[in-house]
Order: sequence, then structure tokens, then C-alpha cells
Amino acid sequence: MPCRVVALLLAVAAVASAKTVDVPVEYYRLPNGLKVVISEAHTAPTVTVAVYYGIGFRVEPKGQTGFAHLFEHMMFQGSANVKKMEHAKIVEANGGVLNGSTRLDFTNYYETLPSDRVEKALFLEADRMRSLEVSEENLKNQQNVVSEEVRNNVLNQPYALFEWLDLWVNANQNWFNAHNFYGDLHDIEAAKIGDVRQFFKTYYAPNNAVLTIVGDVEPKAVKPMVQKYFTDIPLQSVPERPDINEPQQSEEKRVKQSDKLANLPALAFGYHLPDQESADYPAVVLLNLIVQGDDSSRLYQRLVKEKEISLDWGGGINFELGNEFDYDGPMLLTSRTTYKAGHTGDEILKEVDAVARDVQEHGVTAKELRDAKVRFRSNFYDQLESTFGKANLLAALALFHDDPSRINRIVSAYEVVTAEQIQSAAKKYLLPTNRTAIDRVPEKK
Amino acid sequence: MLIAAFLAAAIHWPTITEKKLENGLTVVLVPLPNVPKVTAQLTFLAGRGTGYREHPGMAQLAGRVLTEGTTSRTSKQLKEELRSIGGSMNVTVDDDATTITANALSEFSPKLLALLDDVAEHPAYPKSEVDLAKTNFAQEIEEQRSQPDFVANEQFEKAMFGRHPYGFVVPEPSAIAGITREGLKQFAASHYAPNNAHLIVVGDLQPEAMLEEVHKALGAWKRGTAPPLESPPLPRREKRQIYFVDRPGSVQSTIVMGAAAPPRKSPDYIPLRTANMILGGSFYSRLMLNIRENKGYTYSPFSVADLRRRAGTFWTSASVRNEVTGPTILEMLYELDRMRVLPVTKEELDSAKTYSIGTLALEMESQAGFANRINTIYTYQLPRNFLVTFDEKVNALKPDDIQKSAATYFDTYRGAIVIVGDYTKVKDQIAPFGDVTLIKR
Repeated sequence: MPCRVVALLLAVAAVASAKTVDVPVEYYRLPNGLKVVISEAHTAPTVTVAVYYGIGFRVEPKGQTGFAHLFEHMMFQGSANVKKMEHAKIVEANGGVLNGSTRLDFTNYYETLPSDRVEKALFLEADRMRSLEVSEENLKNQQNVVSEEVRNNVLNQPYALFEWLDLWVNANQNWFNAHNFYGDLHDIEAAKIGDVRQFFKTYYAPNNAVLTIVGDVEPKAVKPMVQKYFTDIPLQSVPERPDINEPQQSEEKRVKQSDKLANLPALAFGYHLPDQESADYPAVVLLNLIVQGDDSSRLYQRLVKEKEISLDWGGGINFELGNEFDYDGPMLLTSRTTYKAGHTGDEILKEVDAVARDVQEHGVTAKELRDAKVRFRSNFYDQLESTFGKANLLAALALFHDDPSRINRIVSAYEVVTAEQIQSAAKKYLLPTNRTAIDRVPEKK
Repeated sequence: MLIAAFLAAAIHWPTITEKKLENGLTVVLVPLPNVPKVTAQLTFLAGRGTGYREHPGMAQLAGRVLTEGTTSRTSKQLKEELRSIGGSMNVTVDDDATTITANALSEFSPKLLALLDDVAEHPAYPKSEVDLAKTNFAQEIEEQRSQPDFVANEQFEKAMFGRHPYGFVVPEPSAIAGITREGLKQFAASHYAPNNAHLIVVGDLQPEAMLEEVHKALGAWKRGTAPPLESPPLPRREKRQIYFVDRPGSVQSTIVMGAAAPPRKSPDYIPLRTANMILGGSFYSRLMLNIRENKGYTYSPFSVADLRRRAGTFWTSASVRNEVTGPTILEMLYELDRMRVLPVTKEELDSAKTYSIGTLALEMESQAGFANRINTIYTYQLPRNFLVTFDEKVNALKPDDIQKSAATYFDTYRGAIVIVGDYTKVKDQIAPFGDVTLIKR
């Protein structure tokens, strides 16, 4: 078959000219269990210092929805040597930026600043890992701030983030995967100072964390600083993670919601995915790119361009919360679309099933497979561009797999995926019985 | 001392190579090899308000359909070719310009430039794509108008700029039907010309080799005759006016308040940018300390020195629960006036200087982010040495310069306050601050 030979030669040529990225990784552990990752990068005169704690909103205490996120705010309220808001003051006075966020399986705190200021960031992160100091007054203040955050990002917005907040609640059965991650206002307002202190003691221990330093620094210069600030923080006994496994779904789930603030209908749906470590996972990642990775993808072309039902199409793995690698537990492959008045979510799902059936029956083309690998590599490099992006991936790989050097083996693991594996993944996972869909329509005005 | 004053070492910026092609295209090349990719931005000086009185939405639609087919490629072919190089291409149309931003793996940069040229030089405006884009654009406007931030910003622009092109944000959906394929093609032919454009390429590149590639891809594109940018006089506001956009059922009031500011190229930009960092342009800012960390009224109050090519605004914003709408406006006005009446402390100013300089250097962490920064030099007519002289200009500022800047540009007595919220629930809290115009949708 001559055309196959041509395709093969082209593929070889493309691989031969492909530039690879090699991320330097130094990885070790302090005696108190703190994992430390250092990675040099000298393109910009900047550094990111990030601490990732192995506690996300997925496993926050039952009955206290939103607590992990409320707690994240408390980490900016002061520690033994740094008063409330002084953390931000110091970072900014040194020319840097800072933030924190709560995700499914970790809570992170980071600052990116000129690289000659790396020691300031290490001092600040160590001080709050060692000695959080919170008061009733500061807790009340942050309960108000977080309640406003929930109003601002959820309650006062059309669609109210239904594509993850509501989808996870409806798609899952295990409470840990199926509760309101942002939190009910009632629960947020009920939190007590004792809960905050206990949560800190339980989860914010060096042996439940990764410190990552990425940027324009020499490892041999920063190691003594890490030693100086972190080594005598005492370890704690961190509880076992609860069972977060999700029972297999056996029937399709359909939910209808009405929206007081939206003007147009929207649909979100998700399929349960195999474990990240399973042999199917790389195939699923590439399958996602082929069906909804860009404007050339099968779902975008079908729903937005051919059928003219959808206005937009978005989606992915760990959608709106992270990427394919920075989580640890059950996961959904999500799609979200805003569609035109006069159509229905049912119509869209019928088209989605037709697209899935086509892949299940006929597989994907050689060109689609080749392009998906290029697309994967290009997207992966986007994650490595900034010192923070790199720190995020290194921290997740250290936290969840104890192996940050995986960062250099990911691209090659995806180069070997075959069309057959993708077809078989479509047969296993893109099934209505494995899917939950929420159709959200404007309330009649 | 934990708080350090200035950055120790001068920032080492990448070398910027600029060249004008014979067809008038300004080409700017910046090596930033953090990953093996490149980002290209091709910018035309055609803002969203271009010709809006006759054809509102024309500039936006013309930009939007650029990537939906050329004389030799269908939309789908174009998107598949982009996919094969790990690339993407998006068009944005803002107040001053239409920009095509494209990126790809650097090993495929010749192909990326060829696609960019094809889209810019030979857009086809296929009838089916124009029809679909018109329908979808109208629906998207309906969707945008359900978002409180969008509504507040749209109203603020109208209030500040009136009939100046900057006062136009989106057309009424019903007006889009009147735009024709012929009109779009004409718009493209006159505005998307190389001598009305600049091309910025940032990333994993060698300037000489890249210039060669650019020349090959875009060198044969013919000059055009773009009409000059329209810049009618700006409306002058004599007193404060409140615009209340009613959004029944809203659980928060979204507040935007501000006043007129100069164009970006004005020497007032750097003092104003620095004043902004102290007021609400950073995490440890006065607004954040007061209305978030002290009072707990809001999640993320902020302020922006929003300076563009022909004019600007200075504005500050917060979304707050209904019951504290009045108290929040009171505090925002207080913080604005405080900076106009009293000097900032030396500590605040030193911190703002370091923050301002340090965060400019952080923009080198991203090819797209740095391309945006370089683009401001060309779109806003800034001096070519903007980056290398920035720290010197910032470090020369005194508390008095900040106070003068605030006194001039934080003037809410001749500004506008926009509130998007539930009118019946909060109207009594608004009344003390000025005359209210109620807008119902």
C-alpha cells in the first residue's frame, strides 16, 4: 500500500526535526518528610517558589463543604513572624506576585518574583508551614470574603460554573467526589476557629507537602536556604486518605436545571475516565484532542459548523480545575457548550453519540492520530512555559507519584499510542451509560 | 529589614530587532526560547468602533470571519493545517486594533507564517461562514449581556466616551443583520493592509533566519490605502453621574467608577500606573486592605489605569453583597480622594516602584504575554526604548508626583459611577452619591 509508506516517511521526518524539552530536576526529601524539587530555568530572571499540600477540596471534612478553600484564605492571615497581609506586602515590595488556590487533590501557595529574591519566598512559606496564627476576628473577616467570592463567581453569574460544580455533584456517588466543592454559604459561615486550627495541624505538615523552586537559580545556592528554613519544622501524623473510589455508573444520568440569570441555554456532560495509571489513559487523552481539542475537532465541526446548534464548544480532562496530570483520583472527561435558543440538549447529545459511534466503529484516521500527538506536545509545552506552569507539574508529579522526573518522559509515552488503542478507548468510555448530562435553560421571564 | 527597596540588578531584556519591509509592514522579532514554540501577532490599526455609526459591528465581524476561509483554503482546511503544526489562530478586536494572534511549534514556523499571510492577504468571506458568524455573534451578545461585569463595563465605556468610537462596545443584535458579505470584504481590503500593520514574533527564533521567513511569507503582500484613524473630540463631563443598570434578582451590586485619563503615550502614564498600584493595582493595596481585609465587603476589589492609543480611563471596581452597596461606594470614594489630598508614604511608594518594575520583568515568562507588551509599544506609539528606560522613570517618582497624578485622574466629581444590580433592593443606598440615571433592559 504505497500511500501508507508515504505517511510513514512523513511521520519519521516530522519526528526527526521535533525539538524536545529537557527539564532539569533535582529531587530529595528532608528528614521531616518534606519533598523538595529544584529546577533551573534561565530564560527569564525570575523564580517561582510553590508549596503544594496534599489536601484538596475533594477530601475536606464531611458536613463542612467549602472548608478546604476557606482554610486556604486563612493561610494569608498571619504566622509567627509575618502579620496578617504582610505576606503579600513583602512579596510585592520585592517585585513579585503571589496567590493560592484549592483544587481537587491539593492546595497550593506560590509566589513568582525576581530570582535574586528567592530567599524571601522561602522564609515566608516556611513561616506559615510552621506556625499559622489565626484569630476569631480574622476568621469572621475571611468568612465574609469567601461568601462574597461564592456570590461573585457562582451565585451572581449565569450558569454558575455548573460545568464542574454541578456536574461533579450529579455524576458521582461517593460524597468525596459528589459534594459542593466551593461550599454552601451556610457551611462556610458555620466554620469555627477550632476547626481551622485542627485542619492546619492535621494536613499542613511537611510530610504532606512538596516545595518546588523553579527558575533562574543555582540548586547549590538554594539548597542551604531550604535547609535553613524548613528542616526543623516538625512532621505530623497525617491521616490515611479516605476511600474516594467511585462505583461504576450503570445508567445514563440526565438532569434539567433552570437559570434565572442566563439568556441562552447551555449543556454540560461528563464521562467517567479510567485511572491515570491505566494503560488506556494516554489513548483517552489523545481521543479527547481528536473529538474536542480545537476548532478542527469532530465535535466542534459537527455541532458548531455543520449542524449550527452550538455557539461554542469547550471541554477536557480536569476541565476548569487543572490538566491531565495534576489530580489524583476519579476523573471526568467534560464537555460544555452554549447553544442557540430553539434547540435542545437532547439534540446535541444525539449528535455527540453519532460522533462517538463513528469513532467506535471506524476508528480515527492516521492524520488525526499524527496531529493529535503534535497537538499534545504543543499543549504540553504551554504548561512548561512559565516557571509557575513547570512548578505546578513538578509538584503534582512529586506529590502524587513521588517522581517529578516523569516530566521528561510524558511526551514519549504519548508518541506510541496507536489508532487501535484510541478506538478501543472510545468503545469503553464514550458510552451514554457512562455519562451524566446537565441541560441548563433560562428561566422563563 | 524584610522589605527591600529597589531591585539590585538591572533587568536584561531580550534583543528586539525591528525592520520595515518594502510593502510597509513593520516587523519586530524577539527571541524568547523558553519552549520550542513561537507566537506571532499581526496587528491592524482598526478598532471595534471603526465606522460604527454606519455599520455597528462591522469591524468585529470582519475580524471574526478572517479565520473562516481564504481564497485557497476552507475554514476546515485552515484549522486542520493549524492542528498539524500544534498551532492556533485567534482574532481579537479591541478599542484600537484588530489583532491576529497565532502560535505553533517553532519547528513549523514557516508554515505558521504562510497561514498568517493567507488569512490576512486573501480572506474569502464565504457566504455560509458570514451567515453563521452573523447569527452567532448576535446570540453571543445576548449571552454577554447576562454577565454583570460585561454590562457594567459596557455602560462605563458609553458613559465616558459617548459617541467617540471608544464608546462603542457591541452592536445591538438586531443591527447585525444589515451587514453584508460585500461590506466585510471591502472593510478587509481597506483596513487589513501591510502598511497599516505591525507583526510581532516572539519565541524560539533566530532574528535573521526569522526575518528571512517573514519576508518569504509576507513580503509579496501589496500595500493598501487605509483610511486614517478617526479621533473625534472626547466628551467633557462637568459633574458626577450615576448610571444604574437594573438586574432584578442580582445578589450583588457590581460597581465600576472612574474618570477620564490620558493616552498611553502621555508622560503621565508612568506616575498614573504607579498611583494605581498603590490604590488597587496590587494585592497589598489600599482598596484591598480597606474593603476586603478590614471590612469583608468584597472578594476582589481592584483598579486599572486603562490607557489606550487615543485616550484612556482610570477606573476601580468591586462586586459586593446588596446590603453593603452604599458603604462600599463610600469607602471607594474615600480611598480615591485620600490619594488626591494626602501624599503616599515613602514605604508605599518604594514598594509600588519595585512591584511595578519586577512585574514588568515577569512578563518575560510567557511568549504571548511578552508579545502583548511589545505590541503596546507599536499600537500606542510608545518610545522604542520603553522597556530599557522604564525602571529609571519609575524610580525617579516622588510622593508629590503620585498625589498630582491622583488629583488629576482620580476625579470622580467629573466621572461616572456604574452599578449593575437589583435596583429596588439597593436604590436608597445609592441616592446620596449623585444623580441617578436608571437603565432598564
